[in-house]
Amino acid sequence: MTEPKLGAYICKGCGISERLNCDQLAQVASSEGKAAVVRQHPFLCSAAGVEMIRSDMAGQGINQVVIAACSRRAKTEAFAFDTVTTSRANLREGVIWIRPDHEDNQETTQEMAADYVRMACAEVQQMRQPGGNTETGVNKQILVVGGGISGLTAALESAAAGYHVLLVEKSAALGGWASKLYRSIPTREPYADPQDTGVELLIHRVQTDPQITVYLNSYCNRTSGAPGQFSIDISTESGATHTVNAGAIIQASGFTRYDASQLPELGYGQSPDIIDQAELERLASAAGTEGSIVRPSDQAEVKAVVFVQCAGQRSNQPGHLPYCSGFCCNAAIKQAMYFKDNNPSVDTVILYTDLRTPGNGEDFYRSAQRKGITFSKGKVTSVVPGKQGAEVFFDDLILDTQTSIQADLVVLATGQIANAGIDVEHVTSAEEPTDKTAISVLNLSYRQGPDVPQLKHGFADSHFICFPYETRRTGIYACGPVRRPMDMAQARIDATGAALKAIQAVENAVLGRAAHPRSGDLSFPSFRKEGCTQCKRCTVECPFGAIDEDENRYPLFNESRCRRCGTCMGACPVRVISFQNYSVDTVGQQIKHVEIPDEMDEKPRILILACENDAYPALDMAAHNRLSYSAWVRVIPVRCLGSVNTIWITDALNSGYDGIMLLGCKKGDNYQCHFVKGSEVAHDRMSKISDTLEQLQLEKERVAIHEVEITDIQRLPALINDYADVIEKIGMNPFKGF
Amino acid sequence: MEKSASKQPPPTTTAEKYRNNFLREVEDNVEEGEWVKMCIQCGVCSGSCPLGSAWEHPPQELFMMIRAGQREQVLRSDSMWMCTSCYNCIVRCPRQLPITHIMHGLANYAHRLGIAPAQNPTRRFAKIFWDNIAHSGRVNELLLSIKLYFMNGFGEGIRMAYHMAGMGFAMFKTGRLDPFGLFMHKGIDNAKELQTMLTKAREIEDRRRGLGLGVAVKAD
Amino acid sequence: MADVIASNETILVVGAGISGLTAALEAAECGKQVILLEKNPAIGGRVSQLYRYFPKLCKPACGLEINVRRLKANPRVRLITMAEVTAIDGQAGDYTVSVHIRPRFVNENCTACGACAEVVNQEIEDTFNYNMGTVKAAYLPHNAAYPQRYLLDPSLIGSPEAQAAKAVCKYDAIDLEMQDEQLQIKAGAIIWATGWKPYDAAKIQAYGYDRFENVITSVEFERMMDKYGPTGGRLLRPSDGKEARNIAFIQCAGSRDQNHLPHCSRICCMASLKQSTYLSEQYGQDSDARASIYYIDIRVIDRFEDFYRKVQADEKVHFIKSKVASVVEDSSNGDVILHGVNTEGYHRYANHHDLCVLAIGMQPSVPASKINGGIRGDSSGFIELDINNGAIFGAGCASNALDVNRAAQSATAAALYAIQTVNRVARAEQTMIGE
Repeated sequence: MTEPKLGAYICKGCGISERLNCDQLAQVASSEGKAAVVRQHPFLCSAAGVEMIRSDMAGQGINQVVIAACSRRAKTEAFAFDTVTTSRANLREGVIWIRPDHEDNQETTQEMAADYVRMACAEVQQMRQPGGNTETGVNKQILVVGGGISGLTAALESAAAGYHVLLVEKSAALGGWASKLYRSIPTREPYADPQDTGVELLIHRVQTDPQITVYLNSYCNRTSGAPGQFSIDISTESGATHTVNAGAIIQASGFTRYDASQLPELGYGQSPDIIDQAELERLASAAGTEGSIVRPSDQAEVKAVVFVQCAGQRSNQPGHLPYCSGFCCNAAIKQAMYFKDNNPSVDTVILYTDLRTPGNGEDFYRSAQRKGITFSKGKVTSVVPGKQGAEVFFDDLILDTQTSIQADLVVLATGQIANAGIDVEHVTSAEEPTDKTAISVLNLSYRQGPDVPQLKHGFADSHFICFPYETRRTGIYACGPVRRPMDMAQARIDATGAALKAIQAVENAVLGRAAHPRSGDLSFPSFRKEGCTQCKRCTVECPFGAIDEDENRYPLFNESRCRRCGTCMGACPVRVISFQNYSVDTVGQQIKHVEIPDEMDEKPRILILACENDAYPALDMAAHNRLSYSAWVRVIPVRCLGSVNTIWITDALNSGYDGIMLLGCKKGDNYQCHFVKGSEVAHDRMSKISDTLEQLQLEKERVAIHEVEITDIQRLPALINDYADVIEKIGMNPFKGF
Repeated sequence: MEKSASKQPPPTTTAEKYRNNFLREVEDNVEEGEWVKMCIQCGVCSGSCPLGSAWEHPPQELFMMIRAGQREQVLRSDSMWMCTSCYNCIVRCPRQLPITHIMHGLANYAHRLGIAPAQNPTRRFAKIFWDNIAHSGRVNELLLSIKLYFMNGFGEGIRMAYHMAGMGFAMFKTGRLDPFGLFMHKGIDNAKELQTMLTKAREIEDRRRGLGLGVAVKAD
Repeated sequence: MADVIASNETILVVGAGISGLTAALEAAECGKQVILLEKNPAIGGRVSQLYRYFPKLCKPACGLEINVRRLKANPRVRLITMAEVTAIDGQAGDYTVSVHIRPRFVNENCTACGACAEVVNQEIEDTFNYNMGTVKAAYLPHNAAYPQRYLLDPSLIGSPEAQAAKAVCKYDAIDLEMQDEQLQIKAGAIIWATGWKPYDAAKIQAYGYDRFENVITSVEFERMMDKYGPTGGRLLRPSDGKEARNIAFIQCAGSRDQNHLPHCSRICCMASLKQSTYLSEQYGQDSDARASIYYIDIRVIDRFEDFYRKVQADEKVHFIKSKVASVVEDSSNGDVILHGVNTEGYHRYANHHDLCVLAIGMQPSVPASKINGGIRGDSSGFIELDINNGAIFGAGCASNALDVNRAAQSATAAALYAIQTVNRVARAEQTMIGE
């Protein structure tokens, strides 16, 4: 390894040299920061400035670079040196723009800048250039679980991009629910008539595609490994098992239809003429294009049919589904057309409370009206079976009456229930036993459970609006109705997107790069085995279930599953986990290198650990708006509050900081933390820190944690200033100078 | 044509609830009736009507009642007679239903069936106007006014005439009112031919709708 | 600028809103070369103008920050702003795209220090805030703008202020001689992600958007909540700056209407439900502020239903099943009066409100008929997935009326379609080299 050699580069532009004594900063960099080369430049981000740095790297062997200029979010591309470690001292957004330009402030502003130079020098000396994960797998095959519309589409789209696909289907045939449909909802203009499902063609294309291998009557008996190197035991019903390898997994395990027998008030099970939508598809298929649909009780042609929407859906009642399955309004329209297209004199009534046909579904709705399908805004109260047919009682919400219709056949629009396997968080977090009937889909050998975590109502969806394919099991992407109730058209788009993410996962795994949201990050966690106490906090707290245990009960990191948030590093009580360029020391040394003034100086020091995605940009934007905040603060951006190790807090307090603020994202049900649980675990850890404060006989106010948003541009400076007032009120930390 | 007598049910027939037989009857017999099924119950028509508050059942509700099979309530209603053809509803309807025409169609159909509310003033005005113009091919304005004044009885007519006397005199002075027109109204040339044309037109219209001739036309 | 390196294995993405950004980044993170074009001076499109997303009520700027970081870190994406496609030649696997670039008058030296804006007084319409205010003619489009570079409005060029701006810039970043540029780009596949625009509210005559100051659109209302928006983050109605505490939301303003947009715009129900929560945010849970939502059907599918129920439980939000017939102004105080009929049981109303927000419909910014001389789209102009479109793929709201999450799904799928094309090209070329 070459000798580390630090170069510090101080920009004098954007008012820095007018506000700060740059020579003094240069002095700090060389004497305290141990920089071998220190240079000042009037315009560091210019081509000439960057060239100056590059020539030092080439000529002087500089391999650690400190840029004392603007925020790390500004001029990022100009200062992207990929062969050396780089740290940014934020003199512009972090100092001169947030401090009023006044003579009285000169001293404190200069101190602030000098500290940031010290911190940057200290940080860069602790950083190592990340080399990329070397524990990479090279398998680029895509495993698709489920052979319905979503799985078939994912398989075909992956194959069309040139990837080999293994398709596992638990039943004896491909096609899933789609193959049980008589027709499907139209997906093209004029959106007027039911269309062929197209599933036969998809099945044919899958079966004849040389890139796709199909396993029928099969399931994933055991899934282990990581992106690029998954190993899957595929078992058949007969018990035969063989092991395949894949680079990524698409889970298209679909849905189960809601059990309508839970709806006795709607007469289900009490008459063969009261059925659900799936059963009507069977009747329609039996009738075919020539015959008429007959009612099950006596095989007489159906002359009047009533569709009851939201059956056991959008309801708080126990046993009902709280959500809307989204597809059923269009499906009822389609099914009413089965009758109307065959015999226009059949009466078809759809009883709905909100007719939900978004987008081009409005055309389909219009077409249904044109065909004479009657829509009535009504809330069904009961369905009473007769000898044949049934009477549907409902409140006509338009005519404001309680009324009823006689029907030969009643069709209940029941919802979709995700086949998401076992609710792993329910198993680990709650005392009550989980649904014992749930069968695992993937049988992951992961420490955190056999399936992908569920978001809500049993669906394995992403929690992120901007990032629909965010997954908490790297390299495994759910698509189709397993993640959200949906129709076939949506499922096909979703499956195509999931196929892209699977392809992306294998391509990144091969190169040892992180997946979203730190895409391309080459750093990865490693740990010092001899220090590890096998406490398992890292394996429990990892939001992505990346860490297993090896045969000796040490953590096994599965680097390709890791998302580089550092929650494990924050969790570790003995501080043995680190990344090459982000570690307990890269932050700890910054904290240590801030100059703590003597108690008598009455200059408090407040440490701010700020989430780099939201809180830190908000501070930057405050600076752009020239809002000011206290000169006592020293801000360190962190990957996530989850990565904050309590040692930083106790060390800071012990070395004389007067207050510590943690600025992270929203936690709870509507969490906004990009690493899912980082903010949550940080709050947990900080609640425990109050014991430590008590032991040290320190006020609890000395550590504060806040949930902030990226747009809190005005709120953050106020929050900081209020906190500075609090600190001034409670006085200086008595540990100063010890 | 498979149009049968059942398309023309006697006025007392009750339509089955939500079973579309009344909707079909409307489609077959009411001008633009085939549009009724296209309504989405948004109510923009009802809200747009300048006489809205006078309607017991606004258009969108009538459409729902038709679908619900409330035949008697619809046809015996005076609501559709409230329409003054302002066309506000038509221009705003998101489904482009010709609501004005449907209202007149419903009124006309109820009239033909003889179940329209007999004392409805709109209906009576329409009839007075029609008789007036069909008689000579040109409106006899003075006669029309007098008939309207006395529509609700002799005393009411006198009161009305007295009330309007000032305006009548002013119109007379400016030559806008010819008192002799009451006796010497100049109709079009050969008004007889017009009446033949109208009779023929009615025949064609009725045949188009599958209506038997003269079933309810005479009903007053 | 003329030396853009591209080949027929390059994917061209047109539009850098959430869909275009997503498509570009997802493709690039699969290892593909991408050129990303944006018409505006900053990326982010329509979502950068949103205050919160439904249903989490989180901030769009947060996701954009992640995407910008992905963009900065990825050398395989080349972003060109102020650029519009003028022509497309060729076919799938081999396109030549002509691009017109408007001058920014500020080059890459800009440090966003803001010195130029300090010497410029001329103001222009603030398009980022839907022209609800003005902005200096030397400006950064918004707080989170990327690229973080100022620009000069063309109207400033030739004026003494332009010279002053140039003189004050220490970094030689202002180039008043900058000209329009034409560019030819090779690409194997094109992802068209030009997004949507709000329907022209003035065309809905009965609602008086063009006549009454206190009738505004949902996109404008969204800007009012931004602390750096035209009202400083307060719900102040335009006519007199009074706090709007009694707000009407009119659903299907343009949508589901054959006189305007035949399709349902999908997002507007959730958008109004979301916006109804702004009242509590602004005035507190216990305030007298109230929202009235006039709707035909509340169309919130899947788990959005949870959000609907949460709003329904709020006593301060009223739901009226009615397409509002007309809006008139009370000239004495500027209030708006909504006329119509609640069709659930026939109740006629004439309701007074401080402010009326039109949940405005969504239409494609560039209809399919205007792309490459006309590609296959539906009658609303949304691009369809069609073999006859070659390797031009619609993404996001250029392809359908979609919410952000579904737009990102659509964009991710479009990225794969494009990759399939360029991979085919690559395989074919390898075969040729092999021969």
